[in-house]
Amino acid sequence: MAALIGPARDPDSPDYPAMLPSETTVSPDYQRFRLPRLPRSPIEHSVEARAFVFSAFAIAVLAIVLYGQDYVVPAIGLAAAAVGHVVSYRERTRRRDFWRQAFLAALIFGALFYVIADSTLALFGGILPQANFAVLLVAITSFDLKTRRNCYSSLWISLAILYLAAVYAWDYTFGLLVAFWVACLAAFWMASHLRRLNAPMSGPVRAIALIAVVALIAGAGWFAAVPQPSGIPISPLVISLPNFTSFRGDMESPALPLVQVSGDSSGATSSVDLHFRGRLGDAPVMYVRTGAPAYWRGLVFDTYRNGVWTASNHFYRQTEPYVPPRLLPPAPPGNRGTFVQTFRVLRPMPAVIDAAYPIESLYAPVSGLREDAYGTFHTPDQLRPGQTYSVVSYIPDLSPQRLRADEREAVLEDSTGAYQDFSTLSAAGRQLAGRVAAGTTNEFDTVMAVTNYLQHNFTYTLALPPVPAGRDPVDWFLLDVKTGYCEQFATAETLMLRSLGIPARLATGYATGDYDPVLNQAVVRERDAHAWVEVWFGSHGWVPVDPTPGVSPLAATQFPSHWAAGGIARLIPHLTVGAPAAALGSLGALGVIPLAVGIALAIVVAYAWLRRRRWTARPKPQPGESELLHLYERLQRRLVRRRAPPETPLEYQDAMQSVLLSEVTGAVNEGVYAGRWPDARRVRELSERISSG
Amino acid sequence: MAASQEPSLQPRRAAELLERVEKNIHRVIVGKDRVVRLALAGMVSGGHVLLQDLPGTGKTMLARALATSVGGTFRRIQCTPDLLPSDITGSSVFNQKDLTFEFIPGPIFANIVLADEVNRATPRTQSALLEAMGERQVTVEGTTRALEPPFFVVATQNPTEFHGTYPLPESQLDRFVLAAEMGPPTDAEALEVLARREHGDPIADLTAVVDISDVIELQEACLRVVAAPAIRTYLVALLQAVRARPDVLLPASMRSGVYLQRAAQAWALFEGRDFVLPDDIKLLAIPVLAHRLGMRGRGRAAEMLNEVVTSLPIPPLRQH
Repeated sequence: MAALIGPARDPDSPDYPAMLPSETTVSPDYQRFRLPRLPRSPIEHSVEARAFVFSAFAIAVLAIVLYGQDYVVPAIGLAAAAVGHVVSYRERTRRRDFWRQAFLAALIFGALFYVIADSTLALFGGILPQANFAVLLVAITSFDLKTRRNCYSSLWISLAILYLAAVYAWDYTFGLLVAFWVACLAAFWMASHLRRLNAPMSGPVRAIALIAVVALIAGAGWFAAVPQPSGIPISPLVISLPNFTSFRGDMESPALPLVQVSGDSSGATSSVDLHFRGRLGDAPVMYVRTGAPAYWRGLVFDTYRNGVWTASNHFYRQTEPYVPPRLLPPAPPGNRGTFVQTFRVLRPMPAVIDAAYPIESLYAPVSGLREDAYGTFHTPDQLRPGQTYSVVSYIPDLSPQRLRADEREAVLEDSTGAYQDFSTLSAAGRQLAGRVAAGTTNEFDTVMAVTNYLQHNFTYTLALPPVPAGRDPVDWFLLDVKTGYCEQFATAETLMLRSLGIPARLATGYATGDYDPVLNQAVVRERDAHAWVEVWFGSHGWVPVDPTPGVSPLAATQFPSHWAAGGIARLIPHLTVGAPAAALGSLGALGVIPLAVGIALAIVVAYAWLRRRRWTARPKPQPGESELLHLYERLQRRLVRRRAPPETPLEYQDAMQSVLLSEVTGAVNEGVYAGRWPDARRVRELSERISSG
Repeated sequence: MAASQEPSLQPRRAAELLERVEKNIHRVIVGKDRVVRLALAGMVSGGHVLLQDLPGTGKTMLARALATSVGGTFRRIQCTPDLLPSDITGSSVFNQKDLTFEFIPGPIFANIVLADEVNRATPRTQSALLEAMGERQVTVEGTTRALEPPFFVVATQNPTEFHGTYPLPESQLDRFVLAAEMGPPTDAEALEVLARREHGDPIADLTAVVDISDVIELQEACLRVVAAPAIRTYLVALLQAVRARPDVLLPASMRSGVYLQRAAQAWALFEGRDFVLPDDIKLLAIPVLAHRLGMRGRGRAAEMLNEVVTSLPIPPLRQH
């Protein structure tokens, strides 16, 4: 923008010849020749340029703090760099003092020793020692930022720091940091070039502020108007606000999740109470990078009393953090392969390893694991945000044919009979189960009959009235309201199957979550919390079945289909059609910013284009001009050599001695220097003569 | 008359007139085509010309021949150390009959003035001459008198190393649109000069071949010659390049750029063109610029300019 470049500050400075008259219409490639010698570029005198160098460093340090979870050294480094910038700016014209240089060099070696010590002894927790080293390096060298090259080295080291933070970055907010860093780099370049032109760096602040405000408003409007992919349907904003549709009764408690997890690491005292349920929002709880979509199973319950599910078996065994396949049950019959899931926890979670079952092997970076009686693994402490663990799971073949052919070879170890206990189910409920299962000949068909019955005759709702006092929630669900949420469906099915002689239990955990094609991982949110049924099949073990309406009845892990396609699509940038929308959605309220930036850019570009168009309306090429010059080029290519840049057309003609060239040269001179271009007929005639001769 | 929109002097006609003058001058001056044309171009561009070389190379002869060829009034000032400003501008003399002071115009009141050996005059006298050259007017005893157009000064000077000279300061050198050196004659030219002088001086037979009004028309035609934007760009780039040279102490002034454009316009007329070519600029860069540049050390301005002109790219032909 022309407004940014003011008049020259000092016409007597040696840089003055670099200032060009603005009216002259000089094409860019000619400007290259016009300055036989570039003027000095004293950008080290530019406060703005230094400010942008420092800002870029500050952004990189912020990235380290946010993603590296390291505070001490970055804070010290940032403060030292700020002091260093001030010192080096004040003393930029002075000669370098030998002893100070020696001291700075010694400090650099000191930083190197610190890093080695930090890497081996973990002085500050040993987090990102290499980033700490880079931070210290920038801080030390900022005391000696005298030349342009120093500024650049400071910038590039901060880029390296940003790269280190990128290794740990999982979300789109990091993209904002990168964008800010790039903006700093661009601003540094602008400041340095303006300095080179001896022009002050000043912007139309009011105009920029106005554009920013307008763009923010427009972005917010856009954001509110366009439905976001992962938003709650009734609200246009994707902020994790509680929705007020779940309960109207007095038992509503927002603090209660689906499963009430107690501190007991065996999971035995945890429970699922069907009388009440908390609100489940949209906040992500974990990211899962997985080879296939599956249910992430957590706690399992076998005992249902008074509307509350608990686990009866308190037995557990202690394992190492890495559980190899040999310590776990062998692959299920007809196993179709394994797949890996990597979980990254985003908020404090119960000490339960959620994963696809059956597990082949797993590793969690904790001191040790406990496997409870139901095959679920527990960590010693609560899972913290940022914690990760990996699980390899089998993909059992749960096709109807195979399950129908089940021969009940393996006998269930059920000493207490908890898996068969349906005592809380009323007589009417048992009769209903018998009616539903009538006519089925094998276990699979019975299970499917009950599942289909629940799915088709009951409705799913989150707005469930309070359970009447004295009623069992399952009876009330089955016989009266016929609406409920996943716990009701799963509990009802479990009890019905038990009444039909089929061992079953309640599994809780999370559904797959939303697949994010950009990150190639599933985003599991609060509202993905789910409960389903596990049914015992003799030769297959526990088979997940989901009676909740709207999902596949057989909750089998699917072979990757769109999942793999998404993975491939990730490699082709423009194939992930949903990616920008998904990216915006996952940013939450911050999603306004990219939109605002985009709109502001569009406004600025349009404004600049309009200004340029209005004030420097370029004359259109004269008729015949481009044809003749094209012809001249063609002719030059045919001759021994082309015209040298300092050579005038006449000099070239004299050197070449070509009759045709002299005619074309005359026309070219007349056109370029008198503005009289030949008509198309004349050009055609000359062109034909070139072709023939 | 429909022709009122048309320029009164077509470039082709101007070229004919100039060729006639050139031919006439060449009856006296043998060879030296370039210098003759430069001197004429200086006149057509409305400026003044400085001829410099050793004594006896034909400077004065050229000036006289030029003056004679174009008609008009011609005066010659032979500059000496004791020449006074009033000797140039004229002075008032007491008329005893009328008992009034009567202004007797000096030799400066002419169409063409030859200031011979201008660097032999004292700086005071030089400045009187140069004021008239710059302002085209003379102020004597409080009365300002305009000089009749065309007013054209041809100054000659000997190289300053000679004894008894007052070198012109740079600011005054800057007022001459161009400076030309006669250069030594070739053997053939020397033989021809001797042959022509065998039975007398040919300048005595020389007559005017064009009218003084033709000179004014030529000057007007010169102003109508087009200097395209590309030419101006080239000129600016040339001045920049000269400034950027490390051996230039006193760079080319803006006035020199204006003169260079004007001289190039005049030069175009010689070839019957109504537009300037970069070739004109290249050719005139040394005569117009060299004498006003201050060089560091023993640098030669002409050599430096030659380097710049041969290495500086001309603006791209494609402008759009």
